[in-house]
Amino acid sequence: MSAGATDTAVGVKLVSHFATVEQQKRAAVLGMWAWLLTELLLFAGLFLTALILRILHPEAVQAAARHLKFWIGATNTVVLIGSSLTMSGAIQLSRLGWQRGMVRFMLATAALGTLFLVLKGYEYYADYHEHMMPFLSDRPYELKDSPPSRLFVNLYYVATSLHGLHLMTGITILLVMTRQASRPGFLSVHQNRIEIFGLYWHFIDLIWILAFPILYVVNR
Amino acid sequence: MTSGTITDGPALRDPHTPDSRIGHGADYLHAEHTLRSWFFTTDHKRIALLYLASITAFFVIGAVTAGLVRLALVVPDGQVFTNDTYNKLFTIHGVVMVWFFLIPSIPATFGNFLIPLMIGARDLAFPKLNLASWYVFMTGALFTLASVVLGGVDTGWTFYTPLSTAFSNTWVVPALIGVTIVGFSSILTGLNFVVTIHTMRAPGMTWFRLPIFVWTHYATSLIFLLATPVITVALILLIAERAFHIGVFDPAYGGDPVLFQHLFWFYSHPAVYIMVLPGMGVISEIVPAFAQKKLFGYKFVAYAAIGLASVTFFVWGHHMFVNGQSDFASVAFSVLSFAVAVPSAVKVYNWTATIHKGSLKLDTPMLYAMGYIGLFVLGGLTGLYLATLAINQHVHATYFVVAHFHYIMVGGTVLAFLGGLHFWWPKITGRMYIEAWGRISAFLIFIGFNVTFFPQFILGYLGMPRRYHVYPPEFQFLNILSSAGSTILAVGYLFPMVYLVYSIWFGKRAPANPWDAKGLEWTVPSPPPAHNFLTEPVAPKVPYDYPLQARETGRQHS
Repeated sequence: MSAGATDTAVGVKLVSHFATVEQQKRAAVLGMWAWLLTELLLFAGLFLTALILRILHPEAVQAAARHLKFWIGATNTVVLIGSSLTMSGAIQLSRLGWQRGMVRFMLATAALGTLFLVLKGYEYYADYHEHMMPFLSDRPYELKDSPPSRLFVNLYYVATSLHGLHLMTGITILLVMTRQASRPGFLSVHQNRIEIFGLYWHFIDLIWILAFPILYVVNR
Repeated sequence: MTSGTITDGPALRDPHTPDSRIGHGADYLHAEHTLRSWFFTTDHKRIALLYLASITAFFVIGAVTAGLVRLALVVPDGQVFTNDTYNKLFTIHGVVMVWFFLIPSIPATFGNFLIPLMIGARDLAFPKLNLASWYVFMTGALFTLASVVLGGVDTGWTFYTPLSTAFSNTWVVPALIGVTIVGFSSILTGLNFVVTIHTMRAPGMTWFRLPIFVWTHYATSLIFLLATPVITVALILLIAERAFHIGVFDPAYGGDPVLFQHLFWFYSHPAVYIMVLPGMGVISEIVPAFAQKKLFGYKFVAYAAIGLASVTFFVWGHHMFVNGQSDFASVAFSVLSFAVAVPSAVKVYNWTATIHKGSLKLDTPMLYAMGYIGLFVLGGLTGLYLATLAINQHVHATYFVVAHFHYIMVGGTVLAFLGGLHFWWPKITGRMYIEAWGRISAFLIFIGFNVTFFPQFILGYLGMPRRYHVYPPEFQFLNILSSAGSTILAVGYLFPMVYLVYSIWFGKRAPANPWDAKGLEWTVPSPPPAHNFLTEPVAPKVPYDYPLQARETGRQHS
């Protein structure tokens, strides 16, 4: 990291329809927050339904929730929080203009994100073996006489795969951006892109931090 | 007029060219000519025209299918179309009109065109995102049109479960994918408007100097941002259930069909205000201009927009009075639904107070605006009937509901859309249309609309259910009356399509401000230059600074 100390000037290039750089940055941050608000609402419906289901049918939901792999979920939570930490590191280094260090932290973030997906994939695989996928007609569902548990498990699959989709999108954007950001001079014209993307990454993390207790932990 | 820049001396200039354009850069229509410059433009004004062309096409599809539905209902025994064809026709009508015309109509066209001009900005905050949202819109449209071409959908525009997930044998999934994608287009447009209004206002353009049009679009954008994700997830769940049997709504898979209604109406009731609020913004611009009078109670009209946008999130349950929700929930939703009447009435009273003792000019946009107020009042009052629990039990899912929401959504959106189109047409195209034709179209549409939909109130009250194509013969007279009205309405819609297009080539050149209206958009030449303003715009000290002033009792604007 020490090799890259202040190798570039840090800044943002003014786009013609804005009057000042400040205005441009403000617009970008507000835009990302507005987008994240819609993302939160996208998941809110699923989470709310899962919570109400727990209140209405506690036994059935607990029976299903016990089949979720708590330790994989917990490890994934740690992995994702770790990735938020490395992303914060990348943002901090981008502010200082330490381009090479920033790129390394971004790659580490992408690696942790990928690790999450691998663990999640393994968890789905284990679910498949335990007959915990009610939508597969050729594999009879383990808790077959319990409609609320099926509904809960279905919500679990929709919510986690939607989150996984967001993570995959995030990793793709991150890798493309890392490629761009490793070119000389990137930080002097687009430093705010790192900050804006950081918001999105932390948000994916936040969604999981909401999903984990609602799906895995409550009333366990 | 194809030349880019007008720099010649007075001797060479077209006598119709207004002085304001002499010596200025090319306007946005003539700045570039290639096809590429239209389909890859980031100019909000050109994107608005892309939207205008596409939603007009969807309006035609929606209108033709509506005409066919009315044709089928001329006879009581359902001999015109088979049951299946009839179901597909009203579904296409509903899906196309709601998702591809009414919701994007005013925000995507006038909102895109006018918001930067009205607040003194050079463009929206994210011009590329703006272009992307048009492409997203067209991609969604492609999916839905594909489902129509492949054989149609028969679920109705609401896609209620379990019909849409388990029983319908039609092309539901492509239609659902299309509607889901279009939702992202609305989110992106709303996001762009919110950020633009927050960060791009010209110096001196404070919140309480913004035109009401901008206020209503701000409120609409908040609904876009807060409600659309909920319908998106509902439709994703629907697709998951139909395509992969991940059951969330079907009891056979452990799901709950009422859950779909909750998620659906949590968006779709606010969506009514996505359709109506921008229309209110248009009317709030037209009425002061043609009364030459300051808008009465400016701050109340602005607050009412935000008020409507807030209350509308708490009333979705009034769509579910007869689906078995608890009596307590029904009573609560009934009371909350009545509350919607308050900000709506504030707006209507303020428009009428603005008209009162104004120096009225009954030009085409004003005729449309007055038609709008009439239809909106009738639609709103029947909304109170529907919010009343006992009456709702009687008229639920009848033509009374059909008439009510057409008065609100067509009366409230289409008339405002046409009024706005006539009002800003000179600004958008730089040409004037023929006034007499405009007035005839306004009258035809108002009369045609009432002849079409008023009989449906009576039909519904007498008990004719919606979505049936066979009905008892005693309802035939009123149905024929309604179908006859739809013919007048169709002629009324054809008129503007002809004379407005005609005016693009043969109309008189428009001055910068043909109506003596106030607002920053009227201070720039018609059509506006590519980057909106030739000099730094100066925000007016007072909004709607018309010569006549309404007597107000409240605090004055700062």
